[in-house]
Amino acid sequence: MRIKISHSITYAYDEPVRQITQILRLTPRDHDGQHVMSWRIEPNIDGRLRAGQDPYGNLVHTFSADGPISGLSIQVDGVVETLDLAGVVRGAIERVPPEVFRRDTLLTAPDDALREFAVAATRTDATPLAKMHALTEALHSEMTCDRSGQRNGIGAAPAFAAREGIPQDLAHVFMTCARQLGLPARYISGYVAASDALPLAEGAHAWAEIHLDDYGWIGFDCANGLCPIDTHVRIAAGLDFADAAPVRGARKGGSGENLAVSVSARKAGSRQVNQ
Amino acid sequence: MHEGKTWNGPNQTIAPHAAKRPDLTMLSRTADSLYWVSRYVERAEYLARILDATTRLTNLPSSYGGAGTEWQSAVATAGCEDTFAKAYGEANERNVCDFLTFNPDNPSSIRNCFALARSNARAVRTALTSEMWDALNSAWLELQRFEKKRMDREEFARFLEWVKNVSLVFDGSAYRTMLRDDGYWFSRLGMYVERADNTARILDVKYHVLLPENEQVGGSLDYFQWTTMLREVSALTAYHWVYREAVKPLLIADLLILNRRMPRSLASCYENISRFLDSLGDAYGRQGPAQRQARKTLANMSNTHIDSVFQRGLHEFIEDFITENNRLGHTISEQYLQ
Repeated sequence: MRIKISHSITYAYDEPVRQITQILRLTPRDHDGQHVMSWRIEPNIDGRLRAGQDPYGNLVHTFSADGPISGLSIQVDGVVETLDLAGVVRGAIERVPPEVFRRDTLLTAPDDALREFAVAATRTDATPLAKMHALTEALHSEMTCDRSGQRNGIGAAPAFAAREGIPQDLAHVFMTCARQLGLPARYISGYVAASDALPLAEGAHAWAEIHLDDYGWIGFDCANGLCPIDTHVRIAAGLDFADAAPVRGARKGGSGENLAVSVSARKAGSRQVNQ
Repeated sequence: MHEGKTWNGPNQTIAPHAAKRPDLTMLSRTADSLYWVSRYVERAEYLARILDATTRLTNLPSSYGGAGTEWQSAVATAGCEDTFAKAYGEANERNVCDFLTFNPDNPSSIRNCFALARSNARAVRTALTSEMWDALNSAWLELQRFEKKRMDREEFARFLEWVKNVSLVFDGSAYRTMLRDDGYWFSRLGMYVERADNTARILDVKYHVLLPENEQVGGSLDYFQWTTMLREVSALTAYHWVYREAVKPLLIADLLILNRRMPRSLASCYENISRFLDSLGDAYGRQGPAQRQARKTLANMSNTHIDSVFQRGLHEFIEDFITENNRLGHTISEQYLQ
């Protein structure tokens, strides 16, 4: 499936900023299930945009500019061709061994409720793969997903206690449970395109990948209750949201930051022959 | 990537029903010829490079301790050991040079590459620009003059230089004069598939001089072997520019396999193959196994580090690559050229 993505991030400041630095994890890499046809990141003010990689192999752009800056908008446009590989991620960059992803983090710190749930939801299943499918289904029905894009994540334990969260929270809850069961789990940030299978899912998204000995990394998307299909575009991986966040930034001076984000991820229409 | 292409290709007068199906605008036979013209020209240039580099290597004083198998390995790098063994016994300078340049019985001698390039080109004369055709046609005429001459080493070196120039002129003509449509993309595809094969063959024959266990054996001979490899792909200067240090086997492998800035590296070839296959897929409104396969290889190479290539085995990696590249050649042929 060919997915056209347009993502704009706009900051407006009540009082101009002296200096701004942004770490952008907004560029996908190729693997067996996805091929980047074109990709472009464009800030609307002059500055330095440097490309690099983080320790996980994610593509990272560092944007920095000197002020006074009263507003900044970053526009990301791209086209990605995807294949449905039933969630199996092969041919992706692997810089660190899977065991690293068994580590708990602040956002995926387990509590008793999560420990119990992880065991209870997977008790009847024999293989790790079946356990993960059961866990996905259990969380999908147990928790309500807020797709408004208006809220920030609160971490695994609080979100599970409230039985509600944004896709990021659901991914964290899932990862926490999987790590409790001894499986390496990593956080994936990306996009989901609207499709017949997932009509409401369009936009920035987050899910998790679990490492199973027999298969390698496999994606599980609790918010949608399935394994990632050809509607999912994978951008960055990490121990949790903090590692793989699309945008992290720092600024000097300024005040009154207003952030507006708009994302569209659509199936690219039938192409014209004369272009 | 979208270079303002329009469908005013060579087969402009098409029936109305065919106009709705752009995949019929170019005959697969035409595409096939364009693809092979470029492959043969690229191959001729590659043969000239091998001969040039091998001549340099054998001209070293024997105190460097050359194994004396340089000419055998030149034949192996050209990928025609069997044909050679049948036609000649010993692999020496005279036999190998003759076999790889003018021998009419060797299907991939420089002479036959030019002959096949020209006959393919003639079959699709109207799909080529006049500059491209002139490059091939005058090369063919000039070649007969070279063939009649008795060549000393100096003259032979001039001949190899000339072969490389023919390829430069043909390539430059295509780049500067061809319409950016499927004809151009097929022509480029042929060039890059062949180029990837050539670079991989150099690595396949010489991989053992890059392996770490041979390092202590090395000494000056290894140094010359390594620089020969780099010369075979015109990368000696590029090497120093990129790495800014002495010639080391791991870095040579990195340059020739994974470095996308190096125009003859495997990764660079696949970047281009994938790009031109994307262009074809876009224009025809559908994609197939060729696109998927090229993307997979490209993704694989962009997500690999040279250390892990060595860990898993350089030889296996190269062998797999050659098999995959051949398979892609077949896939392209099945999808577009038949």
